[in-house]
Amino acid sequence: MQAQSDEQLMAMLAAGETAALEILVQRYHRMLLGYLYRFVGGDRSLAEDLVQETFLRVLRQQHHTMPESFKAWLYAIATNLARDHLRSADCRHMAAVPEEDWLALRDPSPDPETLVLAAEQERLLVAALGQISAEYRAALLLRYFNGLSLHEIAEALHIPLGTVKSRLSTGLRHLRPIITQKQVGVATHGTD
Amino acid sequence: MEPIDVIAGKLRELDLPAEEIDALAPVALLFSRGQPPEPTTADTRQLVAYLSSVMPARSPVRQAIRAHQQRQGAGVRGLLATARTQVSLFGLDFWLVSALVTLVGAVVVLSNVGDGLSGQEVLLRASGPFLAYLGTVIAFRGMQRRVLECELVCLPSPLQLALARLVIVLGYDVALGLALSLALWAGGAEQVLALTLSWLMPLFLVTGLALLLSLRLSVQVAASLAYAGWLAVVALSATSSLQALSLTPLAEALLGGIGLALLAIALLRLQTNMHRLLPRF
Repeated sequence: MQAQSDEQLMAMLAAGETAALEILVQRYHRMLLGYLYRFVGGDRSLAEDLVQETFLRVLRQQHHTMPESFKAWLYAIATNLARDHLRSADCRHMAAVPEEDWLALRDPSPDPETLVLAAEQERLLVAALGQISAEYRAALLLRYFNGLSLHEIAEALHIPLGTVKSRLSTGLRHLRPIITQKQVGVATHGTD
Repeated sequence: MEPIDVIAGKLRELDLPAEEIDALAPVALLFSRGQPPEPTTADTRQLVAYLSSVMPARSPVRQAIRAHQQRQGAGVRGLLATARTQVSLFGLDFWLVSALVTLVGAVVVLSNVGDGLSGQEVLLRASGPFLAYLGTVIAFRGMQRRVLECELVCLPSPLQLALARLVIVLGYDVALGLALSLALWAGGAEQVLALTLSWLMPLFLVTGLALLLSLRLSVQVAASLAYAGWLAVVALSATSSLQALSLTPLAEALLGGIGLALLAIALLRLQTNMHRLLPRF
């Protein structure tokens, strides 16, 4: 069953195969958590809740919507949920990430220097992403973190291919000075 | 972590100038360098366990029906099996009236063999689509019978049901058409092929049009509109001053093709449009 495509697994899921659900979750849990974690500004528990809600929606909507591309559909659901959450009245600010969360980041190599560097880069990226609009953030994460193709992003975000390209290039242009500024800030802070 | 050349390749897809690619590549690279939290195996197992517990359960009856369907297969065999379950929808009156209309058509055409082709064609053009009208109204009257909701939630999809019913209606009508051709040929009628086309092609056109219209209108109204529209065309083409509208066999074959195309469009849109027919509160 591991060799089945996502769409085949969805069809099996619709037929009541629990094993198909397990494989789909195993395939997407990590990347979905990473996507939502970065999208909502580094709040791990919120990202985990959204991951769970995303899979629940998949289960609920499987009979109504037969997606052309499961991956695009999954990220469309996740993006909508995250966007709705950020728009909601009780969430006016991006969550501040506790310091221990950064330090608890997992890394395959136990080298403490690499761990600190990766944590620093993650913190920098999440903070910078929080300063650009959600549209750019979603497109950038889907392309450069989750590895979706331009067509899949267009499908997931329900926008034309040209808009995907412009969101990616504009998003990167917006992100660049923010990251540079933060890197300078970190370097200055480090030398103080 | 993605190598810089992979990132540069992704940036080239955005049609950016080379110097901008160089400037933006380090920013894009950060997405794969940082490390967001990863779920542990236990986290994934816990999530699967939770999702499995809320997964909609299937009743034993549905499971048995599905298993039976899977044994039957999804291809032509499955379609014919579904069609067999739908035969009882068509009462005796449908089979008899359709046969009677065909028979009357054959008799009238054969009794006027010497009167020229156009009169016979007009009669067949008017009577053939009547069978389409009859078939559509009887096969797709779920709403009228207040069982459309049941049809929409039963295991075969609306598309499978529509296909199965069309197999019955069109299969029977085509069989009657072949019987008509044989009768005309045996009766010594001229241009049997042209006469058969005059009967069958409008039938396809009216069926396709009726089914397409039925996605927006009630089946009764849709079938009536399609048939009435076709009768108007026949009446116009039969009027002496409008002989230019007379249909050649080629034009009729084209009409049949259009009918089949409409049928295909209607079937493709069926799944997403059926809900429009549900009663509104």
